[in-house]
Amino acid sequence: MTTDTLDFAVSCTLKTTGARALQKERQLGEFLAEVERRALRIAEIAVRDRDEALDLVQDAMIKLVRNYSERGTEEWRPLFYRILQNGVRDWHRRQAVRNRVMVWFQKPKSDDSDYDVIAAAPDPDGRTPDEELQNSEAMQDMELAVHALPTRQREAFMLRTFEGLDVAGTALAMGCSQGSVKTHYSRAVHTLREKLGEHWQ
Amino acid sequence: MKKTDEQISKQAKQAFDKSVDELDAATLSRLNRGRHAALAEAGRPQQAWLRWMPATGVAAAALLAIFMLQGPADIEAITAPASDLEILLGEESIEMLEDLEFYSWLDDEDLDGEGDLG
Repeated sequence: MTTDTLDFAVSCTLKTTGARALQKERQLGEFLAEVERRALRIAEIAVRDRDEALDLVQDAMIKLVRNYSERGTEEWRPLFYRILQNGVRDWHRRQAVRNRVMVWFQKPKSDDSDYDVIAAAPDPDGRTPDEELQNSEAMQDMELAVHALPTRQREAFMLRTFEGLDVAGTALAMGCSQGSVKTHYSRAVHTLREKLGEHWQ
Repeated sequence: MKKTDEQISKQAKQAFDKSVDELDAATLSRLNRGRHAALAEAGRPQQAWLRWMPATGVAAAALLAIFMLQGPADIEAITAPASDLEILLGEESIEMLEDLEFYSWLDDEDLDGEGDLG
């Protein structure tokens, strides 16, 4: 093999590798853009705080890109949700410890401190409080009921119903067997039906 | 009449999808920034020191265990600064600090007084 031929072969290999990396990055971008909003809402329902949920979703995105970008594209969704669910569980553990510590330092709340200026501000889209209440009532009921589920049931329900993962994908995301997913999901739906069935029109 | 499991799931999904569609612009912007920050990680080599993180953690834990299992002599050495702190923050010390001006004056008087006594 001549030197020119070798140079050409190396150049072709580098171009192919570079093109593959660019394609992978584009696919990752498309995947994250497609999944990020639902992931945010799923995390928000679990932790009941949007800022914390945004941080959790960003962490999950970074970890997926850093550690699993070379995996097949069909694996990204369950892997991403597995990272996110782990993040949510860690968040709950940290929160529990923080609450135990902070209870010693908390001052008793006065009535004035409950007033939230942002919550009291008028809606930028011009919706009245009554309309807003009607629109969000069903979602609030559902969010509270889902949040109140035991952790594994909540995970199974949100991944299956909200994200649309199949049983195998949910099992991978939750790190458990498919049989466990079916059990958790079934119990979650049963509980939600008991709580919401009579109220939802 | 109670709804079936399927109806509950369907209605929950509809409410969820609606809440996703109604996410505000500020939140979408933050998601967008987060995604770009994550994609910036693609192709970036992991820093060498990060690979040593688990080993460093284990070494630190081992050191701490050894430190805590030391004999009484070492425990005394560890608690010595705490005793110093107790002394520093003791009631007498605070009283002394309050009378610092007096002690300073007394010191000066003693120096002057040496001449008187001698």
